[in-house]
Amino acid sequence: MSKPTDLVQGTLDLLILKIIALEPMHGWAIAHRISQMSNEVLQVGQSALYPALHKLEQQGWIEAEWKVSENNRRAKYYSLTRAGRKALAKEAVQWERLSAAISLIVRTT
Amino acid sequence: MSRLFAQLRLRLRSLFHRSRVEQELDEELEYHLDRQIHAGLTRGLASEEAKYAALRQLGAIAQSKEECREMRAVGWIEDLIQDLRYAARTLRKNPAFSIVAVLALALGIGANTAMFSVAYGLLLRPLPYADADRVAMVFMNYGPRDFQYGTMCVRDYLTWKENNRAFEEPALLRTLRMDIGGKEGVPEQVQGASVTSSFFPMLGVRPLIGRTFATGDDQPGTSSLVVLSELIWRRRFAANSSVLGQTVVVNGTPATVIGVMPSAFQFPRRETEVWTNLPLNPPTRYGPWFYRGIARLKPGVTFEQAQAEMNSIGLRLVQDNPYYKRVTFPILSVRDALVGTTVKPAILVLFGAVGLVLLIAVVNVANLMLARATVRHREMVLRLSLGAGRGRVVRQLLTESILLSLIGAAAGLGLAWGGIQLIRAENPGNLPLIDSIRLDWAALGFIVSVSTLTGVLFGLAPALASARADLNSTIKAGGRSSSAGHARGRARRLLVVSETALSLILLIGAGLLLRSFVKLQQVTGGFFTPPQQILTMLISPGDRKYNDAAAGLAFYDEVLRHARNVPEVELAAVTDSLPPDRQGDADSFQIEGQTLAPGEMNPVVSAVTAGPNLFQALRIPLVKGRYFTDHDRQGATPVAIVSEGFVRRFFPDQDAIGKRIRQGAAWMEIVGVVGNVKYLGLTVDTDPAYYMPFAQMYSPRMYLVTRSSGDAAHLAEALRRDIQSIDPGVTLAQIGTMERALNLSMSRPRFNTGLLTLFAGIALLLAAIGIYGLIAYSVAQRTREIGVRMALGAARGDVMRMVVRQGVSLAAIGIMVGLGGAFILTRLLKAMLFGIGVKDALTFVAATVGIMLVVLLATFVPALRATRISPVVALRHE
Repeated sequence: MSKPTDLVQGTLDLLILKIIALEPMHGWAIAHRISQMSNEVLQVGQSALYPALHKLEQQGWIEAEWKVSENNRRAKYYSLTRAGRKALAKEAVQWERLSAAISLIVRTT
Repeated sequence: MSRLFAQLRLRLRSLFHRSRVEQELDEELEYHLDRQIHAGLTRGLASEEAKYAALRQLGAIAQSKEECREMRAVGWIEDLIQDLRYAARTLRKNPAFSIVAVLALALGIGANTAMFSVAYGLLLRPLPYADADRVAMVFMNYGPRDFQYGTMCVRDYLTWKENNRAFEEPALLRTLRMDIGGKEGVPEQVQGASVTSSFFPMLGVRPLIGRTFATGDDQPGTSSLVVLSELIWRRRFAANSSVLGQTVVVNGTPATVIGVMPSAFQFPRRETEVWTNLPLNPPTRYGPWFYRGIARLKPGVTFEQAQAEMNSIGLRLVQDNPYYKRVTFPILSVRDALVGTTVKPAILVLFGAVGLVLLIAVVNVANLMLARATVRHREMVLRLSLGAGRGRVVRQLLTESILLSLIGAAAGLGLAWGGIQLIRAENPGNLPLIDSIRLDWAALGFIVSVSTLTGVLFGLAPALASARADLNSTIKAGGRSSSAGHARGRARRLLVVSETALSLILLIGAGLLLRSFVKLQQVTGGFFTPPQQILTMLISPGDRKYNDAAAGLAFYDEVLRHARNVPEVELAAVTDSLPPDRQGDADSFQIEGQTLAPGEMNPVVSAVTAGPNLFQALRIPLVKGRYFTDHDRQGATPVAIVSEGFVRRFFPDQDAIGKRIRQGAAWMEIVGVVGNVKYLGLTVDTDPAYYMPFAQMYSPRMYLVTRSSGDAAHLAEALRRDIQSIDPGVTLAQIGTMERALNLSMSRPRFNTGLLTLFAGIALLLAAIGIYGLIAYSVAQRTREIGVRMALGAARGDVMRMVVRQGVSLAAIGIMVGLGGAFILTRLLKAMLFGIGVKDALTFVAATVGIMLVVLLATFVPALRATRISPVVALRHE
């Protein structure tokens, strides 16, 4: 089970940004989607997810809106802001470089 | 930009709609939990199990919430608010402590802020002139006259201008009283300045209307022009712009108004109201020495370079004119010239003194905090053992002390405001630039930083001591005594020692100033009529017809006749000089039979024109010969009277009576020798003087002096009316008693002395409170011990001695330190002292005895209380 500290610093932010770039989503759905898309390799606990969401909101990369969820209850939906979209592009490139670099090293040894 | 706003909005929302934000957070997390359980159920778990699994995965809900809050970055603000609330509650709960602390801080911070405003206004606030720190005032100091910041004559200026390379076109200026008369209103006398063309452009100032002097306005033969101040323009011309081109009479000469300067322009004196052009007529001789130079440094030239160049010009002057024994041109920045070279050190000394007062206040409050820290020891230990971080405890205690100090600052701000209003209204010692002394952002910045700093200063030691608390020992000891308590005791004793030392230094400083002030008051101006019985006023006849001696003498005969007819007036006389500091003229002279090298002159000394009865009216003692009489008139033998100092200097071991001296063409026979009179100020060495009879040496502008049987102040109005009835064109100025003139001449030393004495008084009071507090506290702590001692047979006297000894031994150390400090520091006062040295033994001894007495008194009260302790009660104590 992956705890947030096991993720490379900032990776969770990148995942969240990527996930909600597709459509606005509430916290549980984000966690669910991350787990689904990573073939259940990545499990994001609530204790990591929500602080990260609040921090991103504070940074102005995402914004929140209360909406009615698919099961007919009030839920807080997060969506990407313009600044967030820019940040995502940058972070993604960054990640590509980083992971490529790491695999390069891991493979040669 | 909009992103910044969005962030700010979020943050403010987190802060001010805390409950809603919290509620939303709860809801959000709850929703997550529900979905998790639901997911578990669909995976086929039993409902209890699903819930448990969900909760487990969730981690501690509270912890996540805390983290979410932290991510919103308002945690520390919330802590601060909580700390502030708690601090306010603590302070309210101990009103005695809070009031004493706030008062001490208010006094310290308030006095400091007021002093800061004075110092800032006089020494730092930018002057309203372009690049004012590049403009220099140039004085002349020459032997044998020997005034450090003396004046030069036109010929000196021309030599300077010819050889000048360091400055842009230098200007020459003279300050003088000017009689303003004309159709527009009653004649009046105002402060004026006569200046050359480059004066205004150099300062980079613009007129309100019209123009200032242009190139060529200072050439010989230029017509008389005048620039008015906004003040006089409003007063005499109702702010009418048609004043331009109009003629006003300045000192009896018509002059054309060419411009008006805004009221902010106050140069070279604050009260200057009129500027006239100064035509540089080719001088026929050296003197009169009426002028100062003012000039802007050329780019890249430093003050030092300019000074070096001026010194070499001085050498050239000495070569050209054998009268000059040596010449230097001291240069001052405009600010130093305006503020005065004696004001600056005085301000700095007072600022230092008030800083010491604040230090004592801080020490006092630190002392109180330490005492309280002991009491609150258990509270802190409890907090620590409940898991509060040490940093958090320190932060909370610091919040408390800073809050305390800010409350003190708020009260101090009021005090400072009042103090500044008082200083501005009184303008003690005729401070220049008084208008730039005000409570403004600079002062507010000062007060905020000083109070925060003091809060940290007096709060840090107790806070650290508390946070260092040793949990185990304290809890075991029931919170009573601990090793930390001993450390605190040491700190408190150290504080009392430093308090005593600091107040002793201030006390000695104030004592020195007080002693010089008393000495200054004992200085006589050389006249012996009680000053309140002397009334003086300056008369300017205005009309040019009085420039003629015959008409003028007749006018003054009439003035004297009117004055004598005013009831209570015993004697009336005229003079052009008055003690203590109104020198009319100074000039050289020649002694008959004396051979001087070519170009050589005798020194310039006070040359007084005096009518009959002047010496009698002022009671200037006659040493030899006779006073002037009505027979010393035009046509009679020219005569002169000289002062004792004059005889000592120029006729040592000779009889001066019968000797002849001359100033102009005619030889004057010395008929009398009188006592020395001070015309240059009470603190200045008396200048030798020679007197000439008014009737033989007429000049139109004279002081009227009356001696009355009683207090003369109430006669002023009657005299003024009477004299103006002779000729309505007459200007009367500087009307007042000699008592007032003496007071005025003492106002600066009085200001310095009064302020330093006040500071020393506050310091002494604070120190007394501090020492009393320490002793009283230690008696309270030792109640049990004292009880035991008394139960074992100690007499009341023994107990008393023991307690007093504790206070006195601390004070003794403080006194030693203080005496050492005073020995080093009092030399800063040197320029402010008169008649005593900086190590005046009497002052040192008196101040030491004084502080000893205060310490004894402060320890006596708690000592007395100690002797009243009943052993039975004491043993049950705690």
